Amino acid sequence: MSTKHYFNSSSVSSSSSTTTAFLYELSSPLLPLISTPMATHNRQNHTLNGDHCHSTIPITKRPKLSSPSPTSFITHSQIQSEFSHHDLSVARINNGSFGSCPQSVISAQQRWQTQFLRQPDHFYYNQLKPGILHSRSIVKSLINADQVDEVSLVDNATTAAAIVLQKSAWSFSEGRYNKGDVAVMLHYAYGAVKKSVEAYVTRAGGHVIEVQLPFPVKSKEEIITEFRKALEKGKENGKKVRLAVIDHVTSMPSVVIPVKELVKICREEGVDQVFVDAAHGIGCVDVDMKEIGADFYTSNLHKWFFSPPSVAFLYSRKSNDKGNDDLHHPVVSHEYGNGLALESAWIGTRDYSAQLVVPSVLEFINRFPGGIDGIKKRNHEAVVEMGEMLVKAWGTHLGCPPEMCGSMIMVGLPACLRISSESDALKLRTHLRNNFGVEVPIYFRAPKDGEVDPITGYARISHQVYNKVEDYYKFRDAVNKIVSDGITCACLPN
Amino acid sequence: MENKDPPNGESAHHHQLTKKPRLTRFITESEIREEFAHHQSGIARINNGSFGSCPGSVLAAQRKWQLKFLQQPDDFYFNTLRKGILHSRTLVKDLINADDVDEVSLVDNATTAAAIVLQQIGRSFADGKFHENDAVLMLHCAYEAVKKSMQAYVTRTGGSVIEVQLPFPVNSDEEIIAEFRKGLEKGKASGRKVRLAIIDHITSMPCVVTPVRELVKICREEGVDQVFVDAAHALGSVKVDVKEIGADFYASNLHKWFFCPPSVAFLYCKKTSSSSDVHHPVVSHEYGNGLPIESAWIGTRDYSSQLVVPSALEFVNRFEGGLDGIMNRNHEKIVEVGKMLAESWGTNLGAPPEMCAGMIMVSLPSRLRVMSQDDALRLRSHLRSNYGVEVPIHYQAPRKNGEAAVKDKDGFIMAYARISHQVYNTFEDYCKLRDAIYQLLDDPQISKKLFAE
Repeated sequence: MSTKHYFNSSSVSSSSSTTTAFLYELSSPLLPLISTPMATHNRQNHTLNGDHCHSTIPITKRPKLSSPSPTSFITHSQIQSEFSHHDLSVARINNGSFGSCPQSVISAQQRWQTQFLRQPDHFYYNQLKPGILHSRSIVKSLINADQVDEVSLVDNATTAAAIVLQKSAWSFSEGRYNKGDVAVMLHYAYGAVKKSVEAYVTRAGGHVIEVQLPFPVKSKEEIITEFRKALEKGKENGKKVRLAVIDHVTSMPSVVIPVKELVKICREEGVDQVFVDAAHGIGCVDVDMKEIGADFYTSNLHKWFFSPPSVAFLYSRKSNDKGNDDLHHPVVSHEYGNGLALESAWIGTRDYSAQLVVPSVLEFINRFPGGIDGIKKRNHEAVVEMGEMLVKAWGTHLGCPPEMCGSMIMVGLPACLRISSESDALKLRTHLRNNFGVEVPIYFRAPKDGEVDPITGYARISHQVYNKVEDYYKFRDAVNKIVSDGITCACLPN
Repeated sequence: MENKDPPNGESAHHHQLTKKPRLTRFITESEIREEFAHHQSGIARINNGSFGSCPGSVLAAQRKWQLKFLQQPDDFYFNTLRKGILHSRTLVKDLINADDVDEVSLVDNATTAAAIVLQQIGRSFADGKFHENDAVLMLHCAYEAVKKSMQAYVTRTGGSVIEVQLPFPVNSDEEIIAEFRKGLEKGKASGRKVRLAIIDHITSMPCVVTPVRELVKICREEGVDQVFVDAAHALGSVKVDVKEIGADFYASNLHKWFFCPPSVAFLYCKKTSSSSDVHHPVVSHEYGNGLPIESAWIGTRDYSSQLVVPSALEFVNRFEGGLDGIMNRNHEKIVEVGKMLAESWGTNLGAPPEMCAGMIMVSLPSRLRVMSQDDALRLRSHLRSNYGVEVPIHYQAPRKNGEAAVKDKDGFIMAYARISHQVYNTFEDYCKLRDAIYQLLDDPQISKKLFAE
C-alpha cells in the first residue's frame, strides 16, 4: 500500500516525532494564507455610545502570510492528541454525517462561551458583532466571494435551505411566480431539503420536478443528461423553472455533482435562480463562488472544516439584483431588514460561539501542509485507496469513479448480506456499531428489473485527518466475519 | 442575603423526575458565590433580565453533554438525543402544568417561538383563510424583535397590526385592562376579526407584570381567535400555570430566570385543531410530525442547552422552597432595593410591587436630563465603563395632552432603570448604582459628558 499520500499511514515510522516522518506531496503551492484586517476590528467602535472595545477576547494571531517551514507542521501525535476525545474504540469512518472538531478549536470555543457568561451585556455590545464579521471575512476569502456582504453565517445547511426556499415561497404567494412554475431538485437531495421544498415551495403553489440520477454512476455526463431532461420537463406548458436546487456532493448515495456545468446549463436554459446545497462542500471539494457561479451557495463548516457544531455559511451573490432582497432569516429579530448577514448575526439570545471560532479553525488548518487544499487532497487519495482495498477484499465495486468523489466514497457490500430495504441497511449499520465498533452509514440501493444478484448495499466511508488504515481494516474484517458466519440482514435484530 | 421567607406549601419540586436530592441541607451563600464565580468580578450585575445567568454546575453538566456528542456523534444521535429532549420536555410540562407533553416544544428562545406562531398567522393570511386587514393585536411596548416579526409575517401578508398602549408609570391592573379593551374595540372596528392577540406576561421595557389571566379571558369574551402569551421572562419570575392562564400559545425562555445556559425556551401549544399547523421554520426530516418532534431535530447543532433542564431543576431544588422560594425572595429583595433607591434619589417606582416580579423600574432623577432613547443608552454605557454597573435604562417619553407627568423636585421624570435581582446579587450591587448616580448628579459637567455627542 502506498505510503506517499497521507499523514497517518501505519507504515510510516511513528517513533520519529518530527514532521519529516511524514511523506507528503505538495502538488500545489500552499494556499495563500488569508490576510484580514482583523487587527482593526477590535478597536472599531461598534457601540452606539462611545464605548471602547475591550480587547479581552482571545484574539487569534493574524494568520501567517508566509508558509510555515516543514518542521512546524502538525505532527502525527499532535493530530492524535487533537482528536483524543473521540471514542477510540470506534472505527469512526463517518466524518460525513456529523463532522469532527479538534481539541484546540473546542478550547477556543469554550473561551468565547466564557466571555459571554462573564459579562453578557458587554459581550453583546462590544464583542459579538466584530467577532462575527471577522469570521465572515475569513469565509469570504476562502470561498472567493466578492464582498463580505454576500456571506452570512447560519447554524447549518438545513437553515440555509429554509432561508432560500422561504424566499421562493414569498415569490409564489405574492404572485411574482405563477402557480405551477417549477423548482427542480435532485432525486438524491437531502431528506431535510426535500421536506423544506415541500413546506415552502409546494405549499405556496410551486411544482417540484426531481432529476433522476443513476446509481452506481459512471460519469458526470450521465448526470448532465438527466439534468437537461428535467429542465425540459420543467419548461413544458409554458411554465418557468424558477429555482434549481443542486447538491454539490449528494449525501446518500454520495457523489460529487458537476455543479459548474449544471449551473451553466441553468443559465443557458433561463432558470431564474440556482441554489447549490454544498452541505459537504468546504474541506471536501473545491469551493469557489465565482467559478461555480450560483446565486446561492451553502456549506457546513462543522462537517469538513473542523468547526464545532454547528455553523455554516450561506453565500448570496450580490450581482444578482433579485437575489438579496427578500432573503431573510426566518427567526426575525431586531436586525430585520438590514440584510441577511446582519439578521443572522442576531436571532435572539443564544450561543454564537461556533460562529466565532472560525479564526481558530483556520489556524488549525494552516498547521497542515497545503492548508485546507492539502488536507482535501490527502483525504481524497486516502479514501479512494481504502475504497479500492475494500471492494477488492469483498469482490464488489465502487459506486462511482474516483474523480466523482471528494473525501467520501461509496463501497459496494457483498450481495450475500441480502440488504433488501432501508430498514435492513439501518439494522446492518447498528449491528456494525454495537458488535464490531464500526461507525459507517449504509445506503440501500433498490435493484432494477433484470439485474442478476445485484449489489443492494453501499457503505459510505469517509476519510478525515484522524483516520488510520486500521479503521478500514476493522470494517473489512467485520464484514468478512458477518459473511463467513452466514449472517444476513434478515437475521439481525430490529 | 438570608432566606427569610416561610417555606411555600406548593412548590415545583414534587413533580420532578430527577433523582431525590442528595443534600439534606440547602445551598449556602458561599456555594452560591462559587456557582457564579465565573461572573466578572467588580461589576454590579443588576441586569439578569436581559441575558440571564447560569450556575457552574449546570455549565459542567452542559459540557458533559457536549463531550458525549463529540465522542461518538452517530451513537448520540441514534441513542441519546431524543430521550434527553423528551426528558427535558416532560420536566417543563410538569413545571408549567400542561396537560400533555405533546403540547411542549423546546426551541432556542422566545424570539424563535414568536416566529413560529406568527409564521402560522402569516400563512393563514396568505392562503386567504384570514381576510385582508383582519387584525393582530400587540402591546405598544412589545419586544422589538416581536414587532419586527409582526412586520415580516403579518403586515407583509395583509394583516393589520393594532397596538395597545401600555400606561407607564402604571398604578394598577385596571389601567392595563382598560387600555386593552380599547385596543380590542379598535381591532374589531369595521367588522373585522381579531385573529391573534400577543400579550406579554412580563413586558420588557418598561417592565411590568401584566394581568395576563384577565386579558386572556377578555380575549375569549370578545371573540379573539387565538392568544399568544409572550412570557420571555416568566419561568423563574412568576408562577406559570398554562391551564390557568388559558392561552393558545405560551412561550418562555429558560436561560433568563431558570438557570439554563444560552439558550433554550419552551413553546406551549394548547391542543386544538390549529395547533397542528405550527411548524419550526427550519424544516428538517421530522417535518409534519408535530412541533415538538420537529424542534428536536433542526439539523446538526448543539442541543446541549435543551438537554440540561434536569440539571437546572436540580440546582433550583437546592434552594429552600425550590423555584417558588427563589422567586419569592427575588421579588422581596428587588422591591426592597427599588424602594431604597427611589428614596435615596427622591424618585419613584414605575409600578406598584404587586405588578413586579424579579425586576422593578426605578425612575432616575430628572436632573440627569435623559431626553431620548439614545441618551438612555449613553448613560447605560457610561455606568458600565466608568462605574462597573450593568443596568438597562428606559426612556419614557412624557405623556401628551396635559396628562399629569411624573415629576421629582427638579423636573419631569423621563428615565427609569430596570433593576433585576437573582440569587447571586448582593445589597452592595444596588448601593453601587445608587452611589454612581449621586456622583453623576454632583458632576457639573454631566450633561456635556454624557450627552454631548
